[in-house]
Amino acid sequence: MVNAAYRFLRSLPTWALWAIVFLWSLPTLGILVNGLRPRDGQRSTGWWTVLGDERGLTLENYRTVVEASSTTNLFDAMLNTFAVTIPATVIPIAIAAFAAYAFAWIDFPGRKGLFIATVSLLAIPLQVALIPLLQLYVSGAHLTLPILNKTITLIPDLDLAGTTTAVWLTHAGFALPFAIFLLHNYLSQLPGDLFEAARIDGADHFTIFWRLVLPLSVPVLAAFGIFQFLWTWNDFLIANTMAGSNPDALVMTIRIANLAGDFGRNEHLLPAAAFVQVAVPLAVFFGLQRHFVRGLLAGSVKG
Amino acid sequence: MDKVLSTLISVGVTVALSLALWVGANVLFDQARNNWRRFNAVAGAVVGFVLLSILHGNRLLVAVGPGPDAVGTLAAFVWPAALGAATFGSTAWYLSGVDGPRHRLIAGIATGTVVGVVVGALLRSAYRPGFDLAALAIWTAALSGLGALISTRRGRPAVHGALVGAALGSLLGGFGSAELGAGNMVGAIAGATFPAAAFGARIGLTNNADERGRARIDSGSRAYIFLVPSLFFITAALVVPTIRTIYLSFLDDRSENWVGIGNYTDVFTSKTSFDISNWPDIFTSRLFYLGTAMLIAGLAVAISTKKRDGRAVELGGPSIAPLAIAAGLLVFATFSVLRGTIMNNLWWVFTVTVVSTALGLAIAVLADNTRFESVAKALIFMPMAISLVGASIIWRFMFIARDSSKNQTGVLNSAWVGLGRLSTGRGIPTLLASVALGIVFLALAVKVARLLTTGKLTSLPIPMFALFLVGWAWVRFVGLVGDGLGGVVISSDGEVIAKPVLFVQEQPFNSVWLMLILIWIQTGFAMVILSAAIKAVPAELLEAAQVDGATESQVFWRVVLPQIATTIGVVVTTLIVLVMKVFDIVKVVTNGNFGTDVLANDFFAQAFQFANRGRGAALAVILFLSVLPVMYFNIRKMQQEDT
Repeated sequence: MVNAAYRFLRSLPTWALWAIVFLWSLPTLGILVNGLRPRDGQRSTGWWTVLGDERGLTLENYRTVVEASSTTNLFDAMLNTFAVTIPATVIPIAIAAFAAYAFAWIDFPGRKGLFIATVSLLAIPLQVALIPLLQLYVSGAHLTLPILNKTITLIPDLDLAGTTTAVWLTHAGFALPFAIFLLHNYLSQLPGDLFEAARIDGADHFTIFWRLVLPLSVPVLAAFGIFQFLWTWNDFLIANTMAGSNPDALVMTIRIANLAGDFGRNEHLLPAAAFVQVAVPLAVFFGLQRHFVRGLLAGSVKG
Repeated sequence: MDKVLSTLISVGVTVALSLALWVGANVLFDQARNNWRRFNAVAGAVVGFVLLSILHGNRLLVAVGPGPDAVGTLAAFVWPAALGAATFGSTAWYLSGVDGPRHRLIAGIATGTVVGVVVGALLRSAYRPGFDLAALAIWTAALSGLGALISTRRGRPAVHGALVGAALGSLLGGFGSAELGAGNMVGAIAGATFPAAAFGARIGLTNNADERGRARIDSGSRAYIFLVPSLFFITAALVVPTIRTIYLSFLDDRSENWVGIGNYTDVFTSKTSFDISNWPDIFTSRLFYLGTAMLIAGLAVAISTKKRDGRAVELGGPSIAPLAIAAGLLVFATFSVLRGTIMNNLWWVFTVTVVSTALGLAIAVLADNTRFESVAKALIFMPMAISLVGASIIWRFMFIARDSSKNQTGVLNSAWVGLGRLSTGRGIPTLLASVALGIVFLALAVKVARLLTTGKLTSLPIPMFALFLVGWAWVRFVGLVGDGLGGVVISSDGEVIAKPVLFVQEQPFNSVWLMLILIWIQTGFAMVILSAAIKAVPAELLEAAQVDGATESQVFWRVVLPQIATTIGVVVTTLIVLVMKVFDIVKVVTNGNFGTDVLANDFFAQAFQFANRGRGAALAVILFLSVLPVMYFNIRKMQQEDT
């Protein structure tokens, strides 16, 4: 009896751990279950009663949410989300890799200062850049010369406001300091002898970058790619600022937030909609856990 | 599907074009070392193409070609550019093969003149300058003088700089300070030819690069080719907008008039962002009483341990827990009374940072070396993958509060109302629960009594605190005070009515429920980082401590915790920055209503919904300044780790 009590107390931390794990999973489990329940079921009883509920389970909510003809559909929004996430992930990877290589392995005057300046930009919260960027997309960039009193156009009005292009351009720009920082950390750890040997064999920087650096840095490119993909997939602020006013360019997070603001008319669709949005990151998370954790932890410094 | 296809195609084309441009630049500069003339010809052609494209594309030149508006057609757009490419390319090709200084000079001036005459003749009448001769002379003289000075300072012939300066000066003076559209074609030709010829002369004055110079062009250009795409994007997306936001924050809502620091004073004087008028209420709240009691108890313990072993406060010591609880209670007492966005932000930063870090550390310790550790950690970490919007929706279903006549469909209210029904019930379960709670209460009371009689007063505060809480819960539960414990009230005719918590609406603690969402997400982050740090503590240290007879808790407080202190610092600073910018949750759940507004949501509303650009910019700058010290600290640390 005393021994049993002692063992129980000793095992208490494990129980506490699993109790926390249970509590932590409960909210997600809730929408997963509720998404599969019909409207009446959701509205009359809690999701935990599902086992004894004769209304049973249905895929109706998911069908409504994904169906292209429905007014509340997420399908277009999902396409928009892909239209944002793909370029917003691919383009920064490419151009940040060039810059990271230059910072790590090409000698040029002012290298260190420029690198520190680039990395320091991590400190800038996105909000600080949003108002001028929206103005840029709405009307281009113009500079009025102070003494001459003449306005010259630096960037013409490309009519980007309210398009997915504006959203991914913004994401690409904001991703660069972090991408350069992350890739530089990795590239600068690569063995310099290798590059020296290649140089002696007559390879130039372009060849070295293409043939040696890119293949060697696949792990860090993957980590950054996963991080950036999830970041843009889950983003709400930038998409809402740059394209939130155009119903044809909404991404999923905005669509769902709007659905939630409908004063309960489509409340029963929310769990299914939210789960569709959440499913992709979760799949990435469970499928590529190691890369994911590495990318996410590295990304925690992002501004 | 069309949309995705067209997006994919346009993205593909963009990427391919950019990549082709970049590879092309690399290939071009590869030529510099061994194919000098080819390099020059191509580089010259590119410059000519770009220059003429810009002039023509901006409709500065008269459209020459088929149709009324010939700029629109591709052919009409291409031929002036192609002409420019041919002119510049052939000149560059010629120059790269000629070493005689006179020939080079003549070729340079001749090309410049030809280009100038053609451009001047084609210039649209709206851009023909009516010269202001005095300004033209002043600009030209000033800039050529400046150029000559710079050249001399750098040890080059003064005429080099003077020519460039004269070209720039005559451009600025000729077109910049003149009234455009007032002149005639002769003036336009003169105005274009002089700077072009001056540039041409400057290029003609250069020597053909020798072997070493060519190699330097080849290798020196690489850094720029690799960097320019990133630097362009960063400048356009971050550097310039940041400077502009700071500038806009000193202008009024439509960015027309200078208002100085007016936007900032507005933020700090408006009731919605900064309202501390109720401060006396702090001292009458229950949280404050409880916090003060704990503070006194903690101080008493600290004084007695100071007398006993010279240390008032130490990790794992008896005074730390009551003092920490007291601090938490007093902070909550303060923030639940002081209202406004700024106060809310600080409350968020305090609560989410402290709770996530502490809970993450606790879970990391609990999970360390247990069975299925990775499963448990994965499930705790999982919310990190979920978008803040998704998490807000998920928690909305936890927070549902329904009319008292209906079933509660939210987990939290269902449990809370269920507890209330249990405590007001008449059946066996209610009896059992009352007895169980009573036993816990008695056990705590015995413990406190034993501590009192044995004189171990330093361990007293925490059991006292627990005794107080359990005792309060017990008297509420059995109905000695109030209507029972939980979400019910008893009406005048003795009927039990459900009284759910309106998690989203009930001020001021609705903010705390929103914070819970972020805690749910960020605890996993803290746990993963701290767990890695705990596993990295050298095993010899732990063994040595155990050999010396340290208990498990002593090992944790005195060995493990100091070892992971830096990592805790990283987690805390990261969380502070992240929480400071919290936006999505507040936007989706309350949109800033019910007294839950925070800086980032206020920024969004002011800048993009109320069209108050100056105020929005000021809020963004405040946000920037408030995370700056922490980020500075973080980046410094990253740099140190790097070297």
